[in-house]
Amino acid sequence: MIADGQTLIAVAAFLGGGLAMGLGAVGAAIGEGYTAAEANYALSRNPQGAGDLFKTMLVGQAIAESASIFALVIAMILLFSNFGSTSLVTASALVAAGLSMGFGAVGSGIGSGLPAAAACGGMARQPAMGGRLTTNMLVGSAVCQTPSIFALVTAFILIFTDFSKEAVNPAWAAVLGAGLAAGLSAIGSGIGGGVVAQASCEGIARNPHSQKQVINIMLLGQAITQTPAILGLLISFILIFKQVEATDAIAPGIALLASGLCMGIGAIGPGVGEGIASSGGVKWIARNPSFAGNLTRTMLVGMAVAESTAIYSMVIALALIFVV
Amino acid sequence: MNELGKIHQLIIPFLGHNLTFNLEAIAMTWIVCGLLIVFGLLAAYRKARVPGPLQIVGELFVSQLFSLTEDALDKEMAKKYGPLICALFMFLVLSNWLGILPHLEEPTRDLNTPLSLGIMGFVISHYVAIKTKGLKAYVKEYFEPIFFMMPLNLIGELAKIVSISFRLFGNIMGGSIIILVVSYLTYSILLPPLLNAFFGLFVGAIQAFVFTMLTLVYISVQVK
Repeated sequence: MIADGQTLIAVAAFLGGGLAMGLGAVGAAIGEGYTAAEANYALSRNPQGAGDLFKTMLVGQAIAESASIFALVIAMILLFSNFGSTSLVTASALVAAGLSMGFGAVGSGIGSGLPAAAACGGMARQPAMGGRLTTNMLVGSAVCQTPSIFALVTAFILIFTDFSKEAVNPAWAAVLGAGLAAGLSAIGSGIGGGVVAQASCEGIARNPHSQKQVINIMLLGQAITQTPAILGLLISFILIFKQVEATDAIAPGIALLASGLCMGIGAIGPGVGEGIASSGGVKWIARNPSFAGNLTRTMLVGMAVAESTAIYSMVIALALIFVV
Repeated sequence: MNELGKIHQLIIPFLGHNLTFNLEAIAMTWIVCGLLIVFGLLAAYRKARVPGPLQIVGELFVSQLFSLTEDALDKEMAKKYGPLICALFMFLVLSNWLGILPHLEEPTRDLNTPLSLGIMGFVISHYVAIKTKGLKAYVKEYFEPIFFMMPLNLIGELAKIVSISFRLFGNIMGGSIIILVVSYLTYSILLPPLLNAFFGLFVGAIQAFVFTMLTLVYISVQVK
């Protein structure tokens, strides 16, 4: 077998494309299935609203699918583009782009199915609130997509940056670490954001008068839930754009790869945890809007504590990049 | 596709350092500022009891954002910080919408814009904290719950700047990349207007609101 540069790039692009679409198909499918299941429940509860319910289910599923469509775009680009470079770093970057987008689509796909499901359930309970519930679902699902958009940005940067002048040895690990950091860290925040939006759709259906407060708190909660994904994005940017010195030793490269893994895996838990914390806040503000101030403060403090583990991961990741 | 990520920079050597100016971001920021000033003048030009259309839009912005500020801070502070929140939101929303016009692009697509706005919010919130609580109580908070948590508390505070600015930047940058790539793949048929509506108008407005809301919350958390 001859492994010249051209072949290597082609192999990497196919591998990356396959990983992007394969992993990218996981999340959206789960989210959409959950939405459809809840729509069936809602229909059996309130058969008169069948038309509206059907529409809401389809719209919700379409938005949940967008994370997968991002993965499809990346996979198509990887499969059908010509890459001029023959460097090993570029090959590694193409695989990393696939990994980043593939993992990044998992969380947002699952997450944005949850508000759609809650909106269907809520419409069965409160048919008069259909329009507002749909709006709330659209806003919640759109914000849920943010982590997958971060993964997409990283994937594009990895594909279109010229790495051919970089020193091969540590740089291959740096770009791979960058892809993993952005991709894995998007999983938790995607799911967490979905849990928050689900709680808000449910809350509005229970207590329509609380709508304005609930939307504000939901956006706030989702925004803070995205922090782990943003820290992952930061680490991946540092890994991509940092100048690395050429070396024969294996350790510096592995340190960079480990830094990406540390940030990526370390951000999954905080993302989900903050989502759960914030969903509690949203849920109880919807039932008891007069205590919104106190509840918001407790929610914010709780989220900050849940976030601290993501910050520990970031500290270790930065130490791995700059100190070790 | 090749214009992806290319920007025009003006580099001026100054005392041994290179000063770099991102020309697009500067020009677009000035356009946004100019448009906002024109809008403000027109909205307040002929104030009437029965308001004209522009006056209604202006009043809507001001009253909504003021009530939001009053909910988060108290009435006294809202008078002081309401205008800031108003201006921040209007600037961001117009910045995020600017990209849907051909040949213009969002100033928020350049990381420098969100980052400087984020640092501004950070500085203001800490200034407010020192002013209301006093320096001693303010410093003491960093040593809670135990004294050796200080470095981590400090990093946690700095992470706020990163998270608020990268969130806006990532969303706007991601949206514009998706629009560009899909336009290229479909030869600008059918899909790009829909994508512009979703990423430009919808996501742009949401992210502008999120940024404003977070700045407000950062201030209110420091006060209470």
